[in-house]
Amino acid sequence: MPETHQFGAIAIYTHSWNSNRSSLALSSSSNIVDLYKVSGANYQKVNVLSAHTQSVTGIDWAPKSNRIVTCSADRNAYVWTQLKDGSWKNTMVILRINRAATCVKWSPQEDKFAVGSGAKAVSVCYFDSSNDWWVSKHIKKPIRSTVTCLDWHPNNILLAAGSSDFKARVFSAYVKDVEEKPGQTIWGTKMPFGNLMAELSSGGGGWVHDVCFSGNGDCLAWVGHDSSLSVVNANSLSNIVTFKTSYLPFYSCVWVSLNRLVAAGYNCEPMLFEFNGKNIKLVKKYDTKEETGGDNVISKVTIHTGTKEQCKKFSTTGLDGMITVWDIDAK
Amino acid sequence: MSKNTRDAKFRAIDVDKYDENNYIDEETEDVQSGPNESEVIKHLNAARNEEALKLVLTNPPLATKNQAIKDKCFQLVMRVLTSFRTSDMDSAIKTLDQQKIDTLMKYIYRGFETPSEKTCSLLLAWHERAVAAGGLGSIMRVLTDRKHV
Amino acid sequence: MATTLRPYLTAVRHTLTAALCLENFSSQVVERHNKPEVEVRTSKELLLTPVYISRNEKERVLIEGSVNALRISIAVKQADDLEKILCHKFMRFMMMRAENFFILRRKPIEGYDISFLVTNFHTEQMYKHKLVDFIINFMEEIDKEISDMKIAVNSRARFSAEEFLKRF
Repeated sequence: MPETHQFGAIAIYTHSWNSNRSSLALSSSSNIVDLYKVSGANYQKVNVLSAHTQSVTGIDWAPKSNRIVTCSADRNAYVWTQLKDGSWKNTMVILRINRAATCVKWSPQEDKFAVGSGAKAVSVCYFDSSNDWWVSKHIKKPIRSTVTCLDWHPNNILLAAGSSDFKARVFSAYVKDVEEKPGQTIWGTKMPFGNLMAELSSGGGGWVHDVCFSGNGDCLAWVGHDSSLSVVNANSLSNIVTFKTSYLPFYSCVWVSLNRLVAAGYNCEPMLFEFNGKNIKLVKKYDTKEETGGDNVISKVTIHTGTKEQCKKFSTTGLDGMITVWDIDAK
Repeated sequence: MSKNTRDAKFRAIDVDKYDENNYIDEETEDVQSGPNESEVIKHLNAARNEEALKLVLTNPPLATKNQAIKDKCFQLVMRVLTSFRTSDMDSAIKTLDQQKIDTLMKYIYRGFETPSEKTCSLLLAWHERAVAAGGLGSIMRVLTDRKHV
Repeated sequence: MATTLRPYLTAVRHTLTAALCLENFSSQVVERHNKPEVEVRTSKELLLTPVYISRNEKERVLIEGSVNALRISIAVKQADDLEKILCHKFMRFMMMRAENFFILRRKPIEGYDISFLVTNFHTEQMYKHKLVDFIINFMEEIDKEISDMKIAVNSRARFSAEEFLKRF
């Protein structure tokens, strides 16, 4: 049985766990981020991160450094660090965007984070210790509409960005101020900052709602508003495998093993898919056992227990104010 | 107010239209495609409606910019669709794959744009069966696809 | 004719359920604003293909979708002048009180009798399937309401004419 918890009559836009899953951060259409202490089925609100002046659209909790980065429709992002007394202090981020921020992700080594925005650009931010703030470099070309989702490659350099211009792209986010020059990967050899490594689409149309690199970074998956799930292996970029479903579109997806992904969205039930290089097949649906009406539209799927290579449990939050933790092997 | 504030002619310019960052639909090659008309008519005349349906939904003229070709294909599709009785529709739909059902959905919605007494009830019957076969996903693709029939 | 009502409403229901997959989306054009994209129409890529569903030449529905809002416009059957007047007055009555309906648009789209505008905020606060139920129910009830009103008008006219002529 999946563990569920109802946070009230709020629509949860996004959530993020800390490294040992003892704390959860989530946001709805209000301007604050709620922090909960979690033990088993018990969720207790312990803190509130309040600095944004409009709805918080993205939260990411870095597992190693325990820092939280938040971004909002107010065009700002903040990095929060926890002080010894348990309270959270925020540091300003100079995003330099003139439209809403939509999503944010720490890089695997947590020395950078990327923010997508309605300015049709990705801001890659790194720390400037001389001024005690985070500064940014922009990736703009050839993005033609709002950046809706981001995911980092495990090499800390490559970044996937999905947009409402129907494309999923892979860029280089190599920042020479903070890291060594990257070695080559199957995505390409030359990786100056902002270099477009790949531009992909499912072929039809449909805003890209989520992108996800597989655990080893060789494959990229994305879900679109045309009710499709697409996967490509960087070894053969022209071979995009797209599965067009008969369900309502997925809004979020995540790899749970080297060849399996979970996707969920407007159809309310998370689904498990398998990619074998040539095609994608549906393995199973996770039964919500809820009263239908199907109004628990899922806004985000994250890994709860395990990694992208071996996930044991995953969590979903929805527009009905509920969080559910699912066992990957549940019947 | 000074005299020239009354002149609203400058408001006729929509500045946002000239923004270089705006999204523009991809310019694709003008590919002349479409189902083989004579084959389809042959099947229709021989009362092989299901064959005609499968054929007319193959190779839809999505990529072409020539509206006349699209219109001609549309007329042909409507001819095939209206040749069915409601009782025969179920077995016909069973022979279609996911791609053809998506194409059928596109034509059904296009058919609704030019309604007439006899076509509407048939199109509604086709719609019901197409949704049963293709699910809401096939409707999503009609709404999201940038290329139209 | 009545045999097309069920399939017509079912087709509208399915299409609405598909087009009502909305998400919060801040404006790309005006900073810190959040507008229903189907109304502003400045960014083409954020709009879905508009679709029609027709029961016959006179009765049809236009569904225009976008990333964060949906507009549905309904053309109601009006068989004669009296029905035209009744429909117009009835719709006007409701549209003047649009804020009480939340999802009703104050002005119908050109060529239609009434329009609804549903945004992502509505779908977050209200059940999506209930919103669809409401619109379908509305479409079903409108015809009944108008014919009831027509009967009432006709019987009142007959009654007052009789009373008047009784004098002579």
